[in-house]
Amino acid sequence: MNIVLGVLLIFELYIPNSLDDALEFLAKYYPDAMPIAGGTELLILIRDKKIRPKYLVDLSPLRRQFSYIKLENGLVKIGALTTLWELSNSFLHNDVRYAGFQDVWHKFGTMSLRFMATIGGNIATATDFSDYLVLLLAYDAKVKVSGVNGERVVPLGEFIVERRKPDLKPGEIITEVFFTEPPLNTSSAFEKFDRRSILIAGLANSAVYLHIDNGRISDAKISLDMIKEKRIPGRLRVLEESLKGREFSIEFIEKTIEETIPKHVEKYTDWWTTGDYRLEMTKTSIKKALLRAAKRIGVV
Amino acid sequence: MPGLHRVRFKVNGREYELEVPGHERLLDTLRYRLGFVGVKEGCGRGECGSCIVLVNGEPRNSCLTLTARLNNAEVTTIEGIAPPGKLHAIQVAFIETGGVQCGFCTPGFIMMAKALLDRNPDPSDEEIREWFTSNICRCGSYNHYVEAVKKAVEYLRKGIVFFDEREVREKLHLKPLG
Ligand SMILES: Cc1cc2nc3c(=O)[nH]c(=O)nc-3n(C[C@H](O)[C@H](O)[C@H](O)COP(=O)(O)OP(=O)(O)OC[C@H]3O[C@@H](n4cnc5c(N)ncnc54)[C@H](O)[C@@H]3O)c2cc1C
Ligand code: FES
Ligand code: FES
Repeated sequence: MNIVLGVLLIFELYIPNSLDDALEFLAKYYPDAMPIAGGTELLILIRDKKIRPKYLVDLSPLRRQFSYIKLENGLVKIGALTTLWELSNSFLHNDVRYAGFQDVWHKFGTMSLRFMATIGGNIATATDFSDYLVLLLAYDAKVKVSGVNGERVVPLGEFIVERRKPDLKPGEIITEVFFTEPPLNTSSAFEKFDRRSILIAGLANSAVYLHIDNGRISDAKISLDMIKEKRIPGRLRVLEESLKGREFSIEFIEKTIEETIPKHVEKYTDWWTTGDYRLEMTKTSIKKALLRAAKRIGVV
Repeated sequence: MPGLHRVRFKVNGREYELEVPGHERLLDTLRYRLGFVGVKEGCGRGECGSCIVLVNGEPRNSCLTLTARLNNAEVTTIEGIAPPGKLHAIQVAFIETGGVQCGFCTPGFIMMAKALLDRNPDPSDEEIREWFTSNICRCGSYNHYVEAVKKAVEYLRKGIVFFDEREVREKLHLKPLG
């Protein structure tokens, strides 16, 4: 019996018995083979006939190896196959230095999807709607990639080349994302704004990482769902530079955002809303994220 | 090489051994191969939650789950949350609260409530609503369903997990068992 209800296209599933086995299969059948982690993005793309892979390579046999959250040698390391539910049960959800992770969690899809979706899948999805990707950029994260020719490490900011195009060569998968453990007096925040509060892509999403020492901003990293032209998340370094070394105050933040954003950010107009509105909400979104992060550090 | 996959797994405590193609969704296996029609298909794309079942105790949208990936898994559907002839306290609470209208969304909500209460026996309203982000009720029973979970909490707190189905039907003037 072969049940196909016409909604899913036909593909074959390959269940590998090791990392090497998975990588070799992916390399051999590139680009017809794609890895499947949680499947919460991939199966929708297949269903919508946006992609037609012949083979899916099941990554779940590798979960034991690549599902972890740990602090090691001053680095926070997250295995690519870690689910969002697992993230929510880790120290990332009860340490103020990582508070942005809780923000993303509460805004992410739906509760059951958070049991399925993985952090690696979120990064590899590589769109302006990849919420964890936006947050991880604000932590200056790096991605560890394994392939048939070995391992390499790529800064997350360089890893996302185009929308839906991460820098993955044939037969490569993401195995880990990591970032430096933040010092004390730091925190982060994530803002997602749209017409509904949940189960929505977000028309202005931003993440902020902030370090405040004696009332002064000693470090600021700000990332957005998109900066200009390409609809991929990126860092807003101009704004970061204008904030660094200055005293944190609401007036200063508002003024700097107002001066910087219209010059350096450009949003698009489509059937959902206008570019002007997106831009206006981007300002609000960054301001709210900065204030929340500062409040978490205990400054405002 | 790929082809048909042999999958051994348990559904509602009973062992099954099946041969399924890689693209087969758990939703289809449960409904059309095994006859667990309590699992509903609404959107087929992870948004409505009417297809939610438990896989190894975790809530899963069965429309986005491939059966071939479930070797050795334990699946629970609405049919399996109480033994034959019994109803689970969550089911009874849902009936008593009167939220169920067309009922299409109800199994998904109940499975989500089960997953929540298995982890947190006394959730706040906010937590209940966060777990119910997974489910859409076209008839708008949300507030009733939140009340139902609180009622179930009370039953479970008193140690009442299962009810006799015949008695519940009689008491609540539901269609008697055939
Ligand atoms: C209803 C709904 C709501 C959603 N809401 C949100 C939301 O609010 N925020 C958000 O960010 N996303 C959302 N998503 C999108 C999706 O759930 C996330 O992007 C999720 O993190 C994807 O992870 P996954 O493990 O399911 O990836 P998959 O679907 O398994 O894979 C996604 C892509 O990544 C590739 N891939 C997966 N793992 C790896 C790896 N380790 N190495 C290399 N490539 C890999 C796959 O080949 C595929 O191309 C939503 C999806 C749905 C269906
Ligand atoms: S049918 Fe699975 S979520 Fe709607
Ligand atoms: S009762 Fe009809 S959809 Fe919920």
